[in-house]
Amino acid sequence: MSQTTAPASRPQPDVLAVAARRRLRFPAALRNPLAVTGTAIIVVWLLLALLAPMISPAGPLAQDFERLQPPSAAHWFGTDQLGRDVLARVLDGARVSIILPLLLVVSSLLVGTIAGSVAGYFGKVADEVIMRIADLVFAFPTIILAMVIAASLGPSLTNAVIAMLIVSWPAYARVTRSLVVVASRSEYVVAGRLLGNSPFVSLGKDILPNIIAPVVVLATLDVGTAILLLAGLSFLGLGAVPPTPDWGAMVSDGVQNFSSWWISVFPGLAILTVVLAFNFLGDALRDTLDPRTADAVKGRAL
Amino acid sequence: MLSPFRRVAGIVGIAVVATLGITACSAGSSDSASSGGKSVVVDSSFDLKTADPNREYETTGSIVAKALYETLLTFEGDDVTKPIDGLASYEMNADNTVLTLTMADGHVFSDGTPVTVDDAVFSLQRVQGIKGNPSFLLDGVTVEKTSDTTLTLTSAEPNPALPYILPNPALSVVNKKVVEENGGTATDADGAESYLNGASAGSGPYMLESFDVASQVVFTKNPEYTGDAPAYDRVVLRNVQGPTQKLNIQAGESQVALDLNPDQVAELDGSDVTVLSSPSRYMIFLLLNQDPSVSAITSNPDFLKAVKAGIDYDKIVDLAGEGSVQPGGFIPSLFVGAIDASDGNQYDAAAAKSALAASGYAGEDVTLNFPNDITVQGLSLQSVAESVQAQLKEVGINIVLAPAPVATELDAYRDGKETVGLWYWGPDFPDPSNYLAFTPGELVGLRAGWAAGADQTVTDLATAAKAAVSTNERQSAYAALQEAQNASGPFVPLLQPAQNVVTSTSITGVSLNPVWTIDLAGIK
Repeated sequence: MSQTTAPASRPQPDVLAVAARRRLRFPAALRNPLAVTGTAIIVVWLLLALLAPMISPAGPLAQDFERLQPPSAAHWFGTDQLGRDVLARVLDGARVSIILPLLLVVSSLLVGTIAGSVAGYFGKVADEVIMRIADLVFAFPTIILAMVIAASLGPSLTNAVIAMLIVSWPAYARVTRSLVVVASRSEYVVAGRLLGNSPFVSLGKDILPNIIAPVVVLATLDVGTAILLLAGLSFLGLGAVPPTPDWGAMVSDGVQNFSSWWISVFPGLAILTVVLAFNFLGDALRDTLDPRTADAVKGRAL
Repeated sequence: MLSPFRRVAGIVGIAVVATLGITACSAGSSDSASSGGKSVVVDSSFDLKTADPNREYETTGSIVAKALYETLLTFEGDDVTKPIDGLASYEMNADNTVLTLTMADGHVFSDGTPVTVDDAVFSLQRVQGIKGNPSFLLDGVTVEKTSDTTLTLTSAEPNPALPYILPNPALSVVNKKVVEENGGTATDADGAESYLNGASAGSGPYMLESFDVASQVVFTKNPEYTGDAPAYDRVVLRNVQGPTQKLNIQAGESQVALDLNPDQVAELDGSDVTVLSSPSRYMIFLLLNQDPSVSAITSNPDFLKAVKAGIDYDKIVDLAGEGSVQPGGFIPSLFVGAIDASDGNQYDAAAAKSALAASGYAGEDVTLNFPNDITVQGLSLQSVAESVQAQLKEVGINIVLAPAPVATELDAYRDGKETVGLWYWGPDFPDPSNYLAFTPGELVGLRAGWAAGADQTVTDLATAAKAAVSTNERQSAYAALQEAQNASGPFVPLLQPAQNVVTSTSITGVSLNPVWTIDLAGIK
């Protein structure tokens, strides 16, 4: 209600101000305190993941130490039930637990966007077939469906990612389709078609630039969910195969050794920080790219 | 504004008073418990299904049946190498086919009637007839009453294990008259289970006061019990998970905790509690498939040798904590026929490497299958698998772990499809003959692709062990069998995890046994 009336009641901004805001759009998003925090955390984690083999205090698989040592100067995060350094495993686990969900989100973005564009642009049979398949996936709870697929394929990271891809592309397809349906009726698209553009040129040149922003925001917000989903599958023993360090699997190890809190707390905190950071960034991007909330964001910019 | 505030204050007040009251009461009850006269609380993680002794075959079920009923033969304390007289004394004939049991005088049921040979015959026939989980214990055995005081158990095949099977609480003697009045028969039409879940009909030290399969079982002293009276009048056996058991025993809310894993035990303060750690009856082992169509690598004898020498057994025992041991062969250290760890497989990295070189193994991946959702005495098989993987990596063997839920992995194991498997074996009865399954062509042997005739030396030794009669003969025959298996067989016995029982300091003694875990009447 307030959202629909707000733009009408707002005074018409002048053209120069609009242009200035356009130029500052991305920086404004980055200057938002939450976005800055989020980006900083993500950059730190990505660096740690890349540099893990160099900065790690021990090999992630080396069972060289005393078992179940609490955090100390020698082992900042303690050691686990097999005498492996938890810090080394958390650092190395970042390579699995962050990078794989990122790749997954990119792949489901690609698959979903293409499927959604085809459905929305061509309509008729293509639309019906693609959207009914998407409905089929939506009809099941995400984690349960992913579990069923991962369990039937057998536990491995590849299979977990395939399972997650199957459950996560329809969200993108559905959003893309609705955006494409609206955009393809626009006059500039119709004009382009009349000028002789093929459907794919039309989709790529005229429609894509106008729909990509919301989809990217959706993807950014989805990274957090993907990290949680992968960690969840690994926790259930359907993702990373031991001894691969993976945060979800490490939390599961910690549950076996309930009183050695450090085994699960540190990977748990790692999951928390990364998911939180991606959600901050996603929220900030959404606020900035959504014209209804852009002003409010600008007001909060540092 | 004021009246809701007052109401809240009132509720808080009542809550505080109630809490104080409850705290006072519970403090009172634990005081009386620790003073040694009245009741004792035992925490256990339940796998309980029934209180009908002839139907149960679970750990908790055995604890319950042991407290309520008596068996014809029994074991003294934790010594399962020698059956002793229970309700009856026994005599085995020379070729181990006919076991004659003579009922002892003076035992009475909780309703005051004497235990007779008819009750014993009915109970054993009931176990067979109702075709429940423990029925297999008496497979191929004919139970017959031969006089007013004797019965015979006749087997077609020599059955030297029978005296070791009879102490199982599943073979408890029930009161025939009472059970029959309540729908009991010795056929699968038996309907006495629900009655026996509400009341006991036995001659054991306790009677059933209340029974709830999910939460707790309460026992009261049997006034008619003819043995040594138990130290506590009332025992409460509660269903509590491991981590909570630890908190309860520390807070004094329970006096005995049965399911703490070694790492939880290690965190307990020794001044508050007493810890009893002993090797359990479970044996965790690796199997390497001998069927060349499953794996050409693991069926290679030199590769087998390399694996046996490449595992650092002491490290695995350390992993399992205080009280666990390496069994010398596939028979756990508690039983007749067990051999010492020093006579079993030994870690020798140099020997492993040379055997590996001789096998022609060139670094191929070897899959190790194991169930990842079960624990043995609180030890997860995954930890053992990861440890084995790291150790074999050092001698140059590349193991790839393939965990799966037990429900899916069990089929591959039973069908003998696993290249390398990590499993455990819990004995059905404390007799070495139970472990003949680990020989060529037998149950577990086939699971490792060890077909009949694959290893004539081992088969001959197994035949000799089966034929051995006296305890000494059996001891040496089974020892020879295990040494031969260690040399050429596909099984690598890794570990007997510890059985930990933690008691509060007010308890001066508990009686543990591999068959029935704990005798509640033995808590002092």
